[in-house]
Amino acid sequence: MITLGCDIGSLFSKAVILDGDRVTASQVVRTTGNTGEEIEGLLRAVIRQAGLKREQVACVVATGNGADLVKDADRVEDVVTCVGAAAGYYLPEVQLSIDVGGQSTTSMLLDEDGEIRDFMRNDKCAAGSGRFLEVMAEKLGVKVAEIDQTATRAAKAIELSSQCGVFAESEVITHLNNGEPMPDIIAGVCASVAKMVLAQGRRFGTADHFTLTGGVAKLQAVTRIIRENLGGTFHPFPHDPQLATAIGAALLGSPD
Amino acid sequence: MLFAGIDIGSLTAEAVVIEDGKILGAEIISVLPHPLDSAREVMGRLSSKQGIQWRDIQYTVSTGYGREQLQKEGLAQENISEISCHGLGAYALCPEVRTVIDIGGQDAKVIKIAASGELENFVMNDKCAAGTGHFLEVMSRTLGVALEEIGPLSLGSRKPVEMSNRCTIYVETEVIHFLQRGVPKKDVAAGINRAMAERVLALVRRVNPEPEVMLTGGVAKNVAVKNELERMLNVKVVPTKIDPQIIGAFGAALFAQRKAGAG
Repeated sequence: MITLGCDIGSLFSKAVILDGDRVTASQVVRTTGNTGEEIEGLLRAVIRQAGLKREQVACVVATGNGADLVKDADRVEDVVTCVGAAAGYYLPEVQLSIDVGGQSTTSMLLDEDGEIRDFMRNDKCAAGSGRFLEVMAEKLGVKVAEIDQTATRAAKAIELSSQCGVFAESEVITHLNNGEPMPDIIAGVCASVAKMVLAQGRRFGTADHFTLTGGVAKLQAVTRIIRENLGGTFHPFPHDPQLATAIGAALLGSPD
Repeated sequence: MLFAGIDIGSLTAEAVVIEDGKILGAEIISVLPHPLDSAREVMGRLSSKQGIQWRDIQYTVSTGYGREQLQKEGLAQENISEISCHGLGAYALCPEVRTVIDIGGQDAKVIKIAASGELENFVMNDKCAAGTGHFLEVMSRTLGVALEEIGPLSLGSRKPVEMSNRCTIYVETEVIHFLQRGVPKKDVAAGINRAMAERVLALVRRVNPEPEVMLTGGVAKNVAVKNELERMLNVKVVPTKIDPQIIGAFGAALFAQRKAGAG
């Protein structure tokens, strides 16, 4: 059965096509103000990429902040349900799944059947979010895609004393003006994000097996700190972690 | 005999000189990178504009971020916390004040004062930019209006936009989206001021706010935030006879007078 999952996030909109549980196409676009047209384009693009016609897609499942704007959706699912479903399906050994997205961080406790037993979500504060990283990278004149490469050159991580993104931004500028090396500042920014994610993940206690999803999970400079400090064994999500929620939505489109 | 109070904040520095409890001169500047430079600059302006000389000042109290450094370097004989200074400044202006809401550039405080003028309690937010002057600074930049205009601009709004976020960074994105959709600036400004007041309100609710209520600090000059807080708290805030931004420095000067044994 062919299903389409789309995750309209705060920073990026993602769409995937699943043939059973196999990802056959995926698209990611920046979410702008003009969401209606953007979503239609995204869906068309992913269907075309898979070499399909709309009629061949059995079910379109939408999720994320902008899920209601997906006119073509057969179903709308909660974002936590979707990302939990993806982690639980592909990584059944995992008990803790942490999703770090553009404007939210969600920790989910999964049971043996991959069902969500409990979860915690921060979408109120930018500390520890993808947006936090974006704001800092922009101030430092570094592209988000270059963060990993820059951070590997760091001699040390300059610790940020504020968690608040706005106050941290002032700190970053001060460090820059004081002539601190860019890699060291970037490493400090990544450490700040990792620290917030760790603080949330730890509130469920230690899990033997965990995974990380969401756009931020693509950054080694952040995930390395989480992997080294959270405890338990890390299991990488078997696809692009930024697509996890969209994949979960598509999985929910297939009957069990 | 003259007494001075110097308040170095995160964005602005203020100095007030008093004689017999009355304000002789006051200055506000944008801070310089170093608190000592800010103190010298703001006092220098008092001297050049109002002819008040350092040597004529008998006792100086520093407050704010750089207060300890100022004392160490001999620019002040003593340093006292902003909480105490705002409390005393507000009480001196109006002895009926029981709740002082001080909204500065990077923090906000709510101070409870007893009928005797003693500090009863306080709560503070210095962890999150929402509900501080910094929030308004970011929003005025995004909106493309001067910080002082964001209050008056929103008074003309009948349909303030509703912000779905609290975080400064997320609200900034929301503001951009509202503007992209062609929502009038005054309605966005009104939504910004309301969101600002809501964050302050959350802090105020952590103490039992009792009348009279006074607003101090730079944000007190934003008429829309003041109106929103009055509506939400269902009180009229006490009008201040002096610029609310200098109340901390005024309180510090009053402490200086007290410390010198002259009142």
